[in-house]
Amino acid sequence: MAEVIHRSAKPLQVNPFKLSQPMGAALAFFGVDRCMPLMHGGQGCTSFTKVFFTRHFCEPIAIQTTAVTDITAILDGGDVGITEAVHNLCRKVTPSLIGLHTTGLSETKGDDIRGIAGMIEAPLVYVNTPDYEGGFASGWALATRAMIEQLVTPQTQLNDNRVVLLPHASLRPIEVEKIKEFIAAFGFNVLALPDLSTSLDGYLGEKQSALSGGGISLEEIRGLAAAGLVISVGASMRSCAAALQAKNRLLRHQHFDHLQGLFATDRLVELLLTEAGLTRPPAAVERWRSRLQDVMLDGHFTLGQCRFLLTGEPDQLAGLAAALHEVGGKLNVAIATVDSPQLEKLPVARVLVGDLEDAENSAADFDVMISNGHAEALAHRRQKGLLLRGLPNWEQLGDQLKNDILYEGGCYFLLEAVNTALKTEKSPAEPERSENR
Amino acid sequence: MAQKPKIKDLLNERACRHNTTRKSACNAPIPGATTGGCAFEGAQISLFPFADAAHLVHGPITCLGSSWETRASRTGWPGIDLTQVGLTTDLSTRDVIFGAEEKLAAALDTTIERYRPQAVFVYSTCVTALIGEDIDLACRHASAHHAIPCVPVHAPGFVGSKNLGSRLAGEAVLQHLIGTAEPEDISPFAINLIGEYNVTGDMWQYTPLLEEAGIRVLATLSGDGRIAAIRTAHRAGLNVLVCAKSLVSLTRKMQAQYGIPWISASFYGRRDTSESLLAIAAALDDAALLQRMKQIVSREEEILEAQLRPWRERFSGLKAVLNTGGNKAWSIAAALQDLGIEVVATAVGKSTESDREKARRYLGAQGVLMDKPGQQQAQIIEESGAQLLLAGGRSLYTAIKQGIAFIDVNQEKKKSYGGYRGLLNLAEDLKVALESPVFRNVGRRAPWQK
Repeated sequence: MAEVIHRSAKPLQVNPFKLSQPMGAALAFFGVDRCMPLMHGGQGCTSFTKVFFTRHFCEPIAIQTTAVTDITAILDGGDVGITEAVHNLCRKVTPSLIGLHTTGLSETKGDDIRGIAGMIEAPLVYVNTPDYEGGFASGWALATRAMIEQLVTPQTQLNDNRVVLLPHASLRPIEVEKIKEFIAAFGFNVLALPDLSTSLDGYLGEKQSALSGGGISLEEIRGLAAAGLVISVGASMRSCAAALQAKNRLLRHQHFDHLQGLFATDRLVELLLTEAGLTRPPAAVERWRSRLQDVMLDGHFTLGQCRFLLTGEPDQLAGLAAALHEVGGKLNVAIATVDSPQLEKLPVARVLVGDLEDAENSAADFDVMISNGHAEALAHRRQKGLLLRGLPNWEQLGDQLKNDILYEGGCYFLLEAVNTALKTEKSPAEPERSENR
Repeated sequence: MAQKPKIKDLLNERACRHNTTRKSACNAPIPGATTGGCAFEGAQISLFPFADAAHLVHGPITCLGSSWETRASRTGWPGIDLTQVGLTTDLSTRDVIFGAEEKLAAALDTTIERYRPQAVFVYSTCVTALIGEDIDLACRHASAHHAIPCVPVHAPGFVGSKNLGSRLAGEAVLQHLIGTAEPEDISPFAINLIGEYNVTGDMWQYTPLLEEAGIRVLATLSGDGRIAAIRTAHRAGLNVLVCAKSLVSLTRKMQAQYGIPWISASFYGRRDTSESLLAIAAALDDAALLQRMKQIVSREEEILEAQLRPWRERFSGLKAVLNTGGNKAWSIAAALQDLGIEVVATAVGKSTESDREKARRYLGAQGVLMDKPGQQQAQIIEESGAQLLLAGGRSLYTAIKQGIAFIDVNQEKKKSYGGYRGLLNLAEDLKVALESPVFRNVGRRAPWQK
């Protein structure tokens, strides 16, 4: 239904909102308890990543670097740098897991990290994530898949009480928690990989650890295949579900492109009712559904007249677009960070892979934009409404506690969209007094 | 290739004092035990404040994608503020395999045609340096074609620290911009401000006072900077190196090449501001000018004194522990002392020799210089009865546990603490922290802990 441009014709990115693969991988490792992500690249790759997440989450971020220099880039095949890095960081802390991931620099050198990983005794997962390929979401997914492939113990029996959730990179800590609770409310035991809901949810801990605190434990990851059902959320996570199924052939898999809006949540409820053998969901779920229905009705008038431009990761766009499409929002433009088959499915008039300069060039086509913090200047310049979604959000506090998903989050999301649209709405119908009669 | 600055020379900076005592302050980073930014970030810090120049990063997406719009460097440039425009060639696998020089050339054309900058800085990065992209050639072609300076900046992240990157940025400016144009008129008291990035408008706290005395800021590197001005920087009578040691190579070379003397200056706190203003006037070697500056300084100190008096009364008897790095170890300490607060300890773990000396001088014999602040600070707070901890976010829990006020000094500051007036901003912020009940309240025991 949409016009889709899968590749930008420009020789450069102007005002990018795209983030890199190694950053996505690092974030995935933050969702593992007492994990130390180790980025194999220059010290700057890690330093930029650390500062970026520290500002977004307002939390100390634990990450280390192999600190490749111009000299070691030539002389070292990575084995010296990586083993030395592991040795040095293990002198200060005892991580449960080291998340070794590469960058454009180490991939251009062509280091054999798989071979090097075999030489290291500390618990370690390795993954290739050059930043000249893919993007944030693929880095997250690759790291998750690597953890499944390298850590999970194969199983031959089902545990029907257990559900594994594989959330995509753009789901915020509180959203992961909400999905876990939602599934648990139907009587299941839920584990999420990665699990940011207890690590980067912003909490005051007794000790500011030098490692990630909270998240799924290494033991829990090892036992993930002992489940009955795996639920992947986001097209980028499909391969992770397949990797988990390879560890247990009996494991059932259900996929959701996203969990935003009425339709997607209805489908999840249907699935959980069948799996649990129930006919009615918990009362709170019913109540939130009826609240969402009400918000949709109350909001449709404003949203139906509002023209939207969305930017984000493909999986994130799928959810945002669905939620607005259900209430008749005018989805004029969607700009994705990277290409994905997902883009073909978006209920949006014009879809492209691009940057915020493209968004600015489409200024005549929208009233409200949904984008990350880099869009603030554009929105101000062009007097557009702005819903801040995605990383970075340096403009506001508490992004990790915001919830857009399932029935409940759907209400909050639509209400914020309505209120933003109302604030930006010009009133062309109001007659103005003419100056020159 | 001959154009590239010699990194070894830059690392062995004669004008650095520590070079007599230690081989190099710019040692290679240790794998697994390194924090801090890379050379590319250093170059970015030094050059991005030029708001009238485009900043094109030739590399994969991490370098720019994670770093643009992170610094609150303010400018008065009336055109598009190009400091806040992110430009990158965003390399793909294909580019890495087949080279991206054509892409870079096209990106340069697009940038110049769309944004009409006064100059373009092209930054090499680890990947483009490793695959041997000829950014000098691309810059030469674009300069000739578009008739604006296109400056290659050879500071790929893996050559070293932020400090080295700043030096490399200075080299690029010296080689390609300084001395390429003549100023319209030459003031006898023209100076350059080197290493002043005008973060939160710090520079504007003191430049009006320089101008009032008759000193003209000819060019800056690079706060509120203009390309047209830096091209004429070789006509200044004095280089003022502001609070940044990294660009000392540049000022030394400008002295050798153009005979411009240089001095160091700092504008944090009353003492530093006054000393620096007077030192600049003295260095310009004009009795009348120095006299004017003395009057201005005493007038400003008098005004400030009156404004500070209520704050000193408010803060009197307060003790603070400071846990931050680099020059903040003494500059914030000095500012706190100006406000009448006793600084009982400051962290020097990451400071250079001269920062350490200065910290000792400011804190006096009683003050504690903490080498391992993470382990020392709690005890020092308890023993000294300090009521205020200024540190990075990691130390928050220490303050909560002790029930004392906390200020995150590493957080992006929104207000300027520079010059004379900046002290009043700092005082306001301290007041908020000291009067806030939140540190006591948050530390309250939970009902189930009683």
